Amino acid sequence: MGVPVQRRRLLKMTAALAGMAMLAACGGGTGAAAQNAGGEGGIASNIKLMGVYDTTGPVAYAGVGASKGMKLAMEEIEKQAFLGPDVKLTLDEVDTAGAIERASSEVSRAIADSEVKAIFGPVSGQQAATVAPIVEQAGVPTIFNQAGSEGVVIGDFTFRGTAPMYSYYDIAAKYLADKGLTDVAVIYNGTFPTFAEIGQKEFPRLAGEHGLTVSSSYAVQSNTQDFTAQAQEIAAKKPDAVVLLLIAPQAVTALTQLGQAGYEGQTVGSSVQAAGNVAQAGEHAAGLVYPVDFSAAQDDETAVKFVEEFTKKYGKAPDQYAAEGYDSMWWLARAIKASGDSSRAGIQKGLQKVAAEGFEGVMGDLTFEGNDLRVKGVLVQWDGSKERLATE
Amino acid sequence: MQELLNTLTLGSIYLLFALGMALAWSTIGILNFAHGAIFVFSAFSAHIISEHVALSMPVLILISVLVGAAMSALTQWLAFEQILKRSTNHRSAEMRVLIGGIGVAAIPIAIVDKATASAPFGFANSTYKTEVYESMGLRMTNTSLIVIITGVGIAVALTLWLRASRRGLGLRAIGVDSETASLMGVNRTAMALGTMAIAGGLAGLAGALQVFQLQAMGVATGDQLLIKAFAMIVLGGLGSMAGVIFGAFALAGAETLIFAAKLGTWVDAVSFGLIFLVLLVRPQGIFGRQEVRRT
Repeated sequence: MGVPVQRRRLLKMTAALAGMAMLAACGGGTGAAAQNAGGEGGIASNIKLMGVYDTTGPVAYAGVGASKGMKLAMEEIEKQAFLGPDVKLTLDEVDTAGAIERASSEVSRAIADSEVKAIFGPVSGQQAATVAPIVEQAGVPTIFNQAGSEGVVIGDFTFRGTAPMYSYYDIAAKYLADKGLTDVAVIYNGTFPTFAEIGQKEFPRLAGEHGLTVSSSYAVQSNTQDFTAQAQEIAAKKPDAVVLLLIAPQAVTALTQLGQAGYEGQTVGSSVQAAGNVAQAGEHAAGLVYPVDFSAAQDDETAVKFVEEFTKKYGKAPDQYAAEGYDSMWWLARAIKASGDSSRAGIQKGLQKVAAEGFEGVMGDLTFEGNDLRVKGVLVQWDGSKERLATE
Repeated sequence: MQELLNTLTLGSIYLLFALGMALAWSTIGILNFAHGAIFVFSAFSAHIISEHVALSMPVLILISVLVGAAMSALTQWLAFEQILKRSTNHRSAEMRVLIGGIGVAAIPIAIVDKATASAPFGFANSTYKTEVYESMGLRMTNTSLIVIITGVGIAVALTLWLRASRRGLGLRAIGVDSETASLMGVNRTAMALGTMAIAGGLAGLAGALQVFQLQAMGVATGDQLLIKAFAMIVLGGLGSMAGVIFGAFALAGAETLIFAAKLGTWVDAVSFGLIFLVLLVRPQGIFGRQEVRRT
């Protein structure tokens, strides 16, 4: 009789363990969230992080850049023994390759792994907005870089380490006002949410605040490739400045065709034109200004040091995505130190605590609106071959 | 008048892209969804070389054409021909070729994506310089002129070749009934390989000229044009090269007018809506003949 009883107990224990594992794997429901959010206290010697973002596909530049910045920060955190002499951060990365469903399944997999203490979420707005409710429900702190869409920072567990473009676009409007360039035309990609918001709502508002007049506005689609008609109309009207809120290849074409149409006024772009993305436009892009949250041309001490270290590690200067990744990783490290707890709940509390106080990063003085980053931004000018600061 | 010139330029870009796709689809029955990827990869290959050596426009175009032709012929030989051999009926073969094309397309696109980190690429290092001509208030660049002449010239030449030459007749025969054409001595396999090489060469030509015209290309450019080309071919009428010419300029004209009316985000909705309405009245397309059936 003894043997069957032991077997029954063993079966019961196995069933119970399997049930617990399934519950954790589902990662949904209040029970799972509460379990995941439960603080364990203390800083573990190995803190496992998961990066779920595009390293191939249309927005790979953002994912790859952020990844490089994060890895440099991790090296520094470990070298400085910032979290303690034997504490190590490890980052497992998964490429979402532009697929929303892949982002969703990989985030669910990370949630199910109780060793994963925090997630660096997708850089694409659509992917981020899809996974945000999942990580919120599961109670896993998740920092998004880029992902400027609505519906990404939606609760206590979702954070964003990239300031929305509209929040620092003010410096472009101010630059135009200071130069007396008050008559402005706008060409914007109306099917790209970030640009649609700035083109339709934010820039007209900023123009009003700075005494600018938006004399003409042209909406295009993401698949618009030829801007001859818009360029010729703008050249004929001769506004003082043209604001281009376009994706990278579109901006190259639009700048070229504006030049070919005879337009000689000031052109203003967006951070998408950073990192040499307008180089193909050659002389037509010279003089273009655009606000960014970070530029390798920044001359403050923190930024200069970051550029030096990054260039030493990767052989090229960092772009804005690298800076965002770097500051995000430091935000996370500061959070763990602030709460003294590397559990999911501890990191979440720490992130909120650091956000409430703000800190100095390579992007300048970082402040937060709730869990969402804000930076002052800098205006840079493309001189035809490289960036230089256009404002202090 | 300026709108007309703009339509001619835009239409010629569309036409150059759609010609190769239409040629393969309407003759050997291959709807090649890798056409967009070949278009991008060919231009990218020329870009890579131009980064190291300053080359002239004809040389860059030649590189792009050769890469496009080689890629397309290889796709036919290694993928489509094998699919056709293993398929039991024409319907399943068509579907498998379509899926196969999507699969093949993913490889060169992934390479370009990785190499460029999704940044736009072009021929900034080329020796070619764009000149702007202005006359009677109209502006046009030398590149636009080259694009229009090349696009319309090749389209007309291809139409005449298909109608008048012996090989053209053979190709059209395959399009109507490949088995009967084979019985009459048409070597389908060789013709298909040659046709795909020409189609790929046209994709390469279109890619290089588009980069010269628009100054840059993104990794997603081919996919965006693929959908438009599909619509142009269906609107003009499958099997008719004149139909492709019509479809390209009709779509470009509609887009130019919608932009002129400041309805930029409605371009696809209005353009494709008009195409849909035309097809409701004439399902075979404007130049398509109802009795023509591909096997």
